Amino acid sequence: MKLKLFLYAFAAMSLFGALANGQSLAITNARIVTVSGSVIEKGTVVVRDGLILTIGADAKTPADAQVIDATGLTVYPGFIDALSSAGLQARTTTPAPGGQGGGQQAAQQAAAQAAPSNSNYGFGIRPEVSAVDDLRGGDTQFDAIRNAGFTSAVTVGRTGIFNGRSAIINLAGDSVSAMLIKEPYAEHISFTTVAGYPGSLLGTFSALRQMLLDARRLEDWQKAYAANPKGMKRPDDDKSLEALIPLLNREMPVVFNANTENEIVRALDLAKEFNLKAIIAGGQEAGKVAERLKSQNVPVLLSLNFPKRTAAANPEADPENLSTLRFRAEVPKTAARLSQAGVKFAFQSGGLTAMNDFFVNAGKSVENGLTKDAAIRAMTLSSAEILDVSDRLGSIETGKIANLTIVKNDVFATDRFVPYTVVDGKLFEQKEPVRAPVGGRGPGGQRGGGANPGAAAPAAAMPAVANVAGTYNITIDVPGQVVSGTLVLTQQGDVINGTMTTQLGVTQIRNGRAFPDGFAFAAAVEFGGATIDIAVKATVTGNILNGTIDSPQGAVPITGTKLP
Amino acid sequence: MKRILNLTVTASLVIAFGVIAKAQSGGNVLIKNATVMTAAKGTLENTDILVTNGKIAKIGKNIAAPANAKVIDATGKYVSPGIIDAHSHSMLDAINEGSLAVTSMVRTRDVIDPKDVAIYRALAGGVTSALLLHGSANPIGGQSTTVKFKWGRPADEFPIEGAPPGIKFALGENVKRSNFTPQAGQTPRYPRTRMGTMEVLRDAFRRAKDYKQSLDDFKAGKTKVPPRRDLELEPLVEVLEGKRLVHCHGYRSDEHLNLMLLADEFGFRIATLQHALEAYKIAPEVAKRGTGASIFADSWSYKLEAYDSIPYNGYILWKNGVLVSINSDSDERMRRLNLDAAKMEKYGGVPEEEALKMITLNPAKQLGIDKRTGSIEQGKDGDILIWNVHPFSPYSHVEMTLIEGDVYFDRAKDIANREVLAKEREALEKLDMNKAPGAGGTPPRIPAERRIADRDEADRGDNR
Repeated sequence: MKLKLFLYAFAAMSLFGALANGQSLAITNARIVTVSGSVIEKGTVVVRDGLILTIGADAKTPADAQVIDATGLTVYPGFIDALSSAGLQARTTTPAPGGQGGGQQAAQQAAAQAAPSNSNYGFGIRPEVSAVDDLRGGDTQFDAIRNAGFTSAVTVGRTGIFNGRSAIINLAGDSVSAMLIKEPYAEHISFTTVAGYPGSLLGTFSALRQMLLDARRLEDWQKAYAANPKGMKRPDDDKSLEALIPLLNREMPVVFNANTENEIVRALDLAKEFNLKAIIAGGQEAGKVAERLKSQNVPVLLSLNFPKRTAAANPEADPENLSTLRFRAEVPKTAARLSQAGVKFAFQSGGLTAMNDFFVNAGKSVENGLTKDAAIRAMTLSSAEILDVSDRLGSIETGKIANLTIVKNDVFATDRFVPYTVVDGKLFEQKEPVRAPVGGRGPGGQRGGGANPGAAAPAAAMPAVANVAGTYNITIDVPGQVVSGTLVLTQQGDVINGTMTTQLGVTQIRNGRAFPDGFAFAAAVEFGGATIDIAVKATVTGNILNGTIDSPQGAVPITGTKLP
Repeated sequence: MKRILNLTVTASLVIAFGVIAKAQSGGNVLIKNATVMTAAKGTLENTDILVTNGKIAKIGKNIAAPANAKVIDATGKYVSPGIIDAHSHSMLDAINEGSLAVTSMVRTRDVIDPKDVAIYRALAGGVTSALLLHGSANPIGGQSTTVKFKWGRPADEFPIEGAPPGIKFALGENVKRSNFTPQAGQTPRYPRTRMGTMEVLRDAFRRAKDYKQSLDDFKAGKTKVPPRRDLELEPLVEVLEGKRLVHCHGYRSDEHLNLMLLADEFGFRIATLQHALEAYKIAPEVAKRGTGASIFADSWSYKLEAYDSIPYNGYILWKNGVLVSINSDSDERMRRLNLDAAKMEKYGGVPEEEALKMITLNPAKQLGIDKRTGSIEQGKDGDILIWNVHPFSPYSHVEMTLIEGDVYFDRAKDIANREVLAKEREALEKLDMNKAPGAGGTPPRIPAERRIADRDEADRGDNR
């Protein structure tokens, strides 16, 4: 009966698919890397209704299918970015008024006033915050990341100690609900600080510990009250604490942003103390604690944002610490070390702004001892396994979600190009740009793929970019302090250059680009003895600048006014 | 240019050495024919020390070397117990949680960095154990950690097993935030006066007593809902029960006296007065309570509330029977505490062994680890220093630092290793990721000479 119904539904859907045009797709003459099985040197992948229908050297092409001749191309399962902020709008910062009272109670009262609804916690310490609430539908927002080869990603904000609950999404879809694969996926925690308490790393651990203890007590109290409320004070329901209960019960993983050995050890200690289902994100020194990761069965979402020196050469400067020099040199070896030690890991972008570096750095991991197969797996099936979605993503198998990445040339080589991606069965095409003779932009740049399969890519009429040149007085709202300074921009076409001056020093901007409504650039600042890569994106309306600064430590708002 | 080159070499060698010095726990070693300053039973000439499985097994003459022991000939050299620094902020990734007046819930143990190069430098100066304290930004700071400097070992091997837990209190200028201007839009944190500081302390202990009562009531079945486990008040209950040592930062003796009176009121003992640069004024009151004083050898009048400090502070305290230790509160001064002890001999004439105790056995007693370390006695840990000359000589330096019989610093090996490290640095600097960007780039780091070495006023807005 069930089978019959299923077949019936299937037939109806197929019919609908055919009528709806383009719901069936065949990629022929392709080299197929299934990841779960062996490589098919020349074969066909058929996709229907958003799912993979058949694969094989002699898989039949349905009569109604749109055919992509992939001669000379390789089909991979759609690549997964195991941690990103894809599709998220920057959250507005509303720091709680600092806890300056005589005790913790005063601080909590202040936090309670600042927090809406039934949470007694302030900005940055609210685990119930969910990435899904900040997502919007639409394909074009993901053009750049999809053109680099990604079809799905874990996405979550990066502010506060609790970054909040992440979602696993497909990188296309008309609505948020259509994009979602799994939500909520995990709670994400950063060892950082907030305005007021905790205002230092010391307090961060104590605050986490107290909240987890309070959440455990709340659950017990709720149960006792549900069983017999008579004569018992009712539990003080707090949605921030309630959001921690699934963590304590190992129903939801906890992703710790921990990059250095110290951070990873601290995360592992905390996970052990509260029996959390932990995952390490960042993990660039995870190779040094591989044995412990293995014994605690903790996987790693390994950042491919490899560190490099950003400080200018200066004969008067201190030499860099040997430990810093070693750290940078060791990072490309981490993947191989984890692989050898049997620690599960998946690659993630780690805040990379140029997504092509993801593959360049995955390639460096291969040069440093990781097998190519393991590298591919770390962006496909291993990721899906860690994310607990390997029943629907991560390999080219019948019945899985039709996410495919079709690559020209070696996937780790610099001439790698992604002419097609398939997301939920929908084909996206990217035309290879004509290379400029000198200094041309690399493949996978800003040019979006047509959402309309088969149709010629729309003539890329370059929209007029805003004139953003000038001097701005800027304010950066770092939790706990407000940093002010000056931003000086010069502009030539859509290329911008200039400097940003704050109390942290003068910073030369890099990769500056102007857009129709604003600009973006990257820079590196020295803070607390470390170099931090930041990505600035802002809109300019009249003389008002509004935007965000994204860094591995989180995103903070930047505002400013252009001087006349 | 030469200066820079030197800097490079020195910086690299200290950072890297620990990786090479592979330590195992519990070494076997025989130190031969040394002048042994025991810090307990006088100085012994031409004496051997045998350490077995990390513990001092035998002290005497002509001890035969067991087969498995490493033999060190210390003829013509001085041997002393490892130095213990009762006030340090080394190896902490954060020092102050200054957001609240009471932060007894925070633990320095959570943020220790076993790779802080200050550890290796301290070993080169003979420090083997230290009390890692929270800063002095608030009346009740965080929980302390008592560690041995086992450089090269993972973080969890640093804390000394069985050492009584501690907590930092503070009084005076730092607590009142006298020298800190609130940022725009920030309300100044209470307390702002010395009387407010006392109120915060009294209030905290009253809350702790109430908390204890609520736990007892629940246990006795008087209440239905289990009380919330309160990480802020839990350690204060331990203080009231005498299970946690209070180490209190302060300069003015009136404040320290007030604190001791408050402790009398609540029925506990203050373990140490930290800094206490004018504690000579209240020496009998300190001695009577069995409270220790952990002081600087100098820093006389270095700030307003230290105005009445005098060179003879240590001597007067000792003469009155106070347990005195000399601490560093600084990564830099930590490396020459032996000379600070020598100053006690100079100003007032504290006897040599008593002066040595002020950096060894006395701090061990103050931290409650004197059963294990602090002097060279049979049965204690093999925490031993070998000096080229008498440690109170300005020409002295540590030749070897042992913790539990394992060598953690060896001057000869260090010198030999400098070339290796210089070569490694040269190779690393040639790698792409370590090259300076061709154009632009961020401003370089501030040269070391202009950095702040003293972390006493550690709350300078950064966490380091």
